[in-house]
Amino acid sequence: MSTVPRPALGVERTLPDAGHATLNPVQLVRQRFRQWWQARLPLSDMLTLTQRNVYILPTGPGLMLVATLLVLLVASINYQLNLGYLLTFLLAGCAVVGMHVSHATLRGLTLTLAAPDPVFAGSHAPLRIVLGNGRKSTRYGIGLAVLDDAHDDRWAWIDVPGQGSATVSVAFQPLRRGLHRVPPLTAETRFPLGTFRVWTVWRPAAQVLVYPTPEAVPPPLPEGEPRAGTAGSARVQSTGEFEGVRGYRRGDPLKLVVWKKAAKSDELVSRDTQQAQRRELWLDFARAGSVDAEARLARLAAWVIQADKLGLDYGLRLPGHELRPDAGEAHRRRCLEALALC
Amino acid sequence: MLGRLQTLPREARDTLFLLAVIAWLILPQLGQLPWWCIGLTAAVLAWRGVLAVRGDPLPGNGWVLALLAATIGATLLSHRTLLGRDAGVTLIVVLLALKTLELRARRDAFVVFFLGFFTMLTNFFFSQSLPTAGAMLVGLLGLLTALVNAHMPVGRPPLLQAARTAGWMALLGAPMMAVLFMLFPRLAPLWGIPGDGMTGRTGLSATMQVGTVAQLALEESVAMRVRFEGPLPAPSEMYFRGPVLSSFDGRVWRPLVPRIGAYAAGLLPPVRLEGLGPAVRYAVMLEPNNRPWLLVLDAATERPSGAGLEAISGGELQWVASRPVTDLVRYSAESHVAYRAAADARPFSVPIQYRELPPSFNPRTLQLASQLIAQVPGGAANKPALVDAALQRLRTGGYVYTLDPGVYGEHTADEFWFDRKQGFCEHIASAFVVLMRGMDIPARVVTGYQGGELNSIDGWWTVRQSDAHAWAEVWLAGLGWVRVDPTAYVAPSRTGSLQRLLPPQGVFAAALGTVSPGLLGSLREGWEAVNNRWNQWVLNYTQSKQLDLLRNLGFKSPNWQDLTFLLIAIVVAVALGGAAWARWERSRQDPWLRLLARVRQRLAREGVVVPPAGGPRQLAQAVTNRFGHEAQALADWLLRLEAQRYARRPPTELPALQRELNRLPWPAAR
Repeated sequence: MSTVPRPALGVERTLPDAGHATLNPVQLVRQRFRQWWQARLPLSDMLTLTQRNVYILPTGPGLMLVATLLVLLVASINYQLNLGYLLTFLLAGCAVVGMHVSHATLRGLTLTLAAPDPVFAGSHAPLRIVLGNGRKSTRYGIGLAVLDDAHDDRWAWIDVPGQGSATVSVAFQPLRRGLHRVPPLTAETRFPLGTFRVWTVWRPAAQVLVYPTPEAVPPPLPEGEPRAGTAGSARVQSTGEFEGVRGYRRGDPLKLVVWKKAAKSDELVSRDTQQAQRRELWLDFARAGSVDAEARLARLAAWVIQADKLGLDYGLRLPGHELRPDAGEAHRRRCLEALALC
Repeated sequence: MLGRLQTLPREARDTLFLLAVIAWLILPQLGQLPWWCIGLTAAVLAWRGVLAVRGDPLPGNGWVLALLAATIGATLLSHRTLLGRDAGVTLIVVLLALKTLELRARRDAFVVFFLGFFTMLTNFFFSQSLPTAGAMLVGLLGLLTALVNAHMPVGRPPLLQAARTAGWMALLGAPMMAVLFMLFPRLAPLWGIPGDGMTGRTGLSATMQVGTVAQLALEESVAMRVRFEGPLPAPSEMYFRGPVLSSFDGRVWRPLVPRIGAYAAGLLPPVRLEGLGPAVRYAVMLEPNNRPWLLVLDAATERPSGAGLEAISGGELQWVASRPVTDLVRYSAESHVAYRAAADARPFSVPIQYRELPPSFNPRTLQLASQLIAQVPGGAANKPALVDAALQRLRTGGYVYTLDPGVYGEHTADEFWFDRKQGFCEHIASAFVVLMRGMDIPARVVTGYQGGELNSIDGWWTVRQSDAHAWAEVWLAGLGWVRVDPTAYVAPSRTGSLQRLLPPQGVFAAALGTVSPGLLGSLREGWEAVNNRWNQWVLNYTQSKQLDLLRNLGFKSPNWQDLTFLLIAIVVAVALGGAAWARWERSRQDPWLRLLARVRQRLAREGVVVPPAGGPRQLAQAVTNRFGHEAQALADWLLRLEAQRYARRPPTELPALQRELNRLPWPAAR
């Protein structure tokens, strides 16, 4: 039995598969290998880099340096240049020291992922990573990136001061709503000579909640429904602007003031007590228009945001799930969360 | 200017720095490169610098290709080839400069770096002296600094920071360099020393043309260094024997055997040489001169021995190497300053070449010869008296030793004996030998070095090119070959007290000399001593020294396999040391944390997982939840672990807890 938290949803991969690449058998094998490799890494929001999880391989220029050293050596042998030998061996010594320095740049570093904030699908989810350096000297040229097919162009570079920490932000773009595992991250350095690539792969355990993308141009909010138990069927005309608010009048009780709206504009707005009493706003999955479930969720998300902006009380009705009308930041988050996970 | 540099954008600053480093790498070769190459390189570097400062775009590929084509054309014109060392060096230098014109991406930067390392090596073709090594060390640090700087992508790090990193790397890499340098097996040249390897090195010439001004006399560079073991020979006996010139065509003196191969073939059979008195033992460090002669103190009875050296008898008391001396050579030799050579030979067995004179040259000298024969009692048969008479004439005839005797014409001996009456060793020896041969005395010109200068710091004698000397040898029945230095009769001080005509001093040296006369000398001595150390320890580190080192380490009969073995053993030892160090570094973690991690790991195997931030108390909680009463002991232990860390007065010591853990009843998963 394991108590390692499993994702609430089966959606593991948040990024589009490189579908075209799978036609290439080599790519396929590499991809499979990478998946297997990454799957065996432990999930943790904090990673201390040690010899076990820091990898090192020579780069192209590193191999070129080896070729250069060989040519220098041959020239030294052929022309019997003792100074040539010295140059060659000093260079080789520097390269070996460089290898060690490279590895030590990552070794001992601690990576901590700050809990990511929820985002809307399709937008960039920023991941804030704190790099802690317990060593006395600065660690130069550390790059961080989300490990995907395009990560080679999206490095965020940073120096971590000695006995200090630095925060670096990388972003990934979740395309589907739901609760997603943060994608694997990679840290890399080529400091100091660029002859070795030292890197690590890190699978944070944190999950990021992805709300459905709000519909870009949503229809007006639905009409309020008569409050249960309230008689009357007077219909409120829908004019695009929900009419549950009106300008502040002297004598309105303070609790009717829509403070949120007041904060945005200079004028005070009060809830229309009559409206509020008679009708309540329900955002209902069943009445969200389109046949496509995802499109409905998108509309509901847009409505939730709209209603929240207006400072209305609203309820959310989803298949098998209902949130009583309420207002405020916490309610908004609950609603969006419900939309993300339903 | 410096302030301007501070405000430049990082890219421009880095480019300028790299350009400066490249210029530094090329600078020592200015003397060796064709003029167009210097001009083109300087122009390209300056152009690139201006582009960098202004932030202008780089020129298109067309430019670079055109310049490259022009370079190849010019190289073909200058060197008649694209291969070979000199053409290669020219090409590499221009390529390095041209590459900066397309210095955009990091990959291009790497190409510049690697070409830079080649350029550095090409410097060593021309000089491996200490100053060159120092300059190239600075260049190497410059290149490394640029490379490190290129891998500091954040912000605008100060170059000094990169330089410090580069310096540390070089410092830490130095031990590895030293070990590899000492133990890497020295191999023979893979495809032979190319013929153009030694252009422009000065030294004794294989021929002597009388009347040309001896540039050598003004040359202050070191020809060889000698260290005597035991008693020193008198300075006036320090004749280092080089080429023996016996064949004269009226203008040029040449050796009897023109090629090295002929010595090996034994064209001149060695003469019988017996040393008199005690032997002088000494070691010689011969600077490369591209000539085969191994200079030895006159006369070496034993074969000089040295690393990778095969000495052949030259047949005229000199020793030659089997190939030209293209590297610093160290050998030890043994000489007798008093000796008898070919003393038992019959007069007719002395080769006729030592008596030959070209016809229709120097008629007046031949007249002088018959005059002397007529004057001397005993006539033609009294050879020693004839030699004395000639020397007497040199001493008393108003002859002058000068380095600037003017240009001699056709009959050089005549001009010396009768017209100019001045000259230096070359003229005097040549005229003397002509006169001897005119009197039917076997005679020859010997060239080499005479004297030297003791370096009081390290005890080595420095022999300079300005010590180059020419003297004569005559063969006398019963005595054999006898050295006669006619110059000594013209200018006794030239050989006696080792005074020479001093070459003109430079302005700086002259100024220094007036301030403190002794300072210049001691500065030079110190510098020479350092240089000699450098030569011995670095440049003359050869295979035999490697094997000596192994012998000192206890190998019985070392060979290059032993070297390789030792090298591998050191690499393995260092690797093991590194692994041990890595282990130690890991164990440097807090022992309390380590203990906690151990328990945590073990519990994780049982399925009890607590977030990393969870302490012992949380673990205890989790254990109790999972195993209940059964885990009471473990939970207690965990609480005591917590108390050990956080209580004001810890109840238990950590080692005790550690021991206890091993005895603890461990709850089993159900």
